[in-house]
Amino acid sequence: MPRAPLPPFWSLIESHGAELLLHARRLAGDDHAEDVLQDAMLRALRAYPRLAHAEHLRAWLYRVTTSAAMDHHRARRREVPTEQPPTAAVEADYDDGAFDALIAPLPEASRRVLRLRFVDDLDYDQLGARLGCSPVAARQRVSTAVRTLRKQGTPA
Amino acid sequence: MTLPADLLDAIASAAVREGLADAVFTRLSTPIGRLLIVQGPQGVVRVGFEEDPEDVLLAGVAARLGPRIVASDRELAATRDAVEAYFAGDDETLAVPVDLQLVRSDFRRAALVALHDEVHPGHVVTYGGLAARIGHPKAARAVGSACATNPVPLIVPCHRVVPGSGGVGSYGGGPHRKRQLLAHEGAILT
Repeated sequence: MPRAPLPPFWSLIESHGAELLLHARRLAGDDHAEDVLQDAMLRALRAYPRLAHAEHLRAWLYRVTTSAAMDHHRARRREVPTEQPPTAAVEADYDDGAFDALIAPLPEASRRVLRLRFVDDLDYDQLGARLGCSPVAARQRVSTAVRTLRKQGTPA
Repeated sequence: MTLPADLLDAIASAAVREGLADAVFTRLSTPIGRLLIVQGPQGVVRVGFEEDPEDVLLAGVAARLGPRIVASDRELAATRDAVEAYFAGDDETLAVPVDLQLVRSDFRRAALVALHDEVHPGHVVTYGGLAARIGHPKAARAVGSACATNPVPLIVPCHRVVPGSGGVGSYGGGPHRKRQLLAHEGAILT
């Protein structure tokens, strides 16, 4: 089966950059959002040629950005440098469990909301339909889950 | 809504610095309209006119050089300066590195190399004349194809190749642009 080629990377940034910056801002705060996004885009570039297929790229970029935000948060909380490498959520395999590890501290209901949003890439209309609530309520559930995650920091 | 320009610049420059960019592109306003210029590690690989669909053009570059394509005016500053100097009439040599890897055949590449190296601003050559220069005096039509599919118009000056029968002939960017460029170089009277 012929595979769709990966689009030029910059077209992803031009299409999704602004919403990814908002996402970084929600996760890392105004002061750190741009650093987080830059780090995330460089991670994404490193992994990009190795991606197995060109589907769900927007959701993938959300996960890379989430992961960069969590590493940024963790790096700032630690006083001593760690020998542990940063989480490898950016690897070519989409199902490497990094996202699940990231959201592990949350209750199952919140994990499900985040998975539907960022792994299955549902928009808020679709998410609301799936959860049986309004798009506005769906958005609130996502942002509450993200906020909780941010407060709790990251999994060990 | 797009990202702040300085953030885009920072991402692109960091990508280039870390060797993560397969190609870099820039958009430049000129007297012949907006140009899209794409540069790989070896030089300029593609130039597009403003009516060329940008996504198609970049996808063509990605298929050959790789998908990690970023935009940066800063990283292509030298190339932008050379093009601006050309249109300002300060320096018409357009001496920027060129990479013809998007050219599909050796014959076409040979024709474009000869054109680039030997036909200077203010001069024109006929299709047959260029064919003769590369040792195939009967291949005027094939030289026409090489020009029609030139991936780097302006830099490789296919606007300087004209029909033996007179007139400016056809051009990928339209005959009006060809006439405008030749007039700018003083090769024809407006």
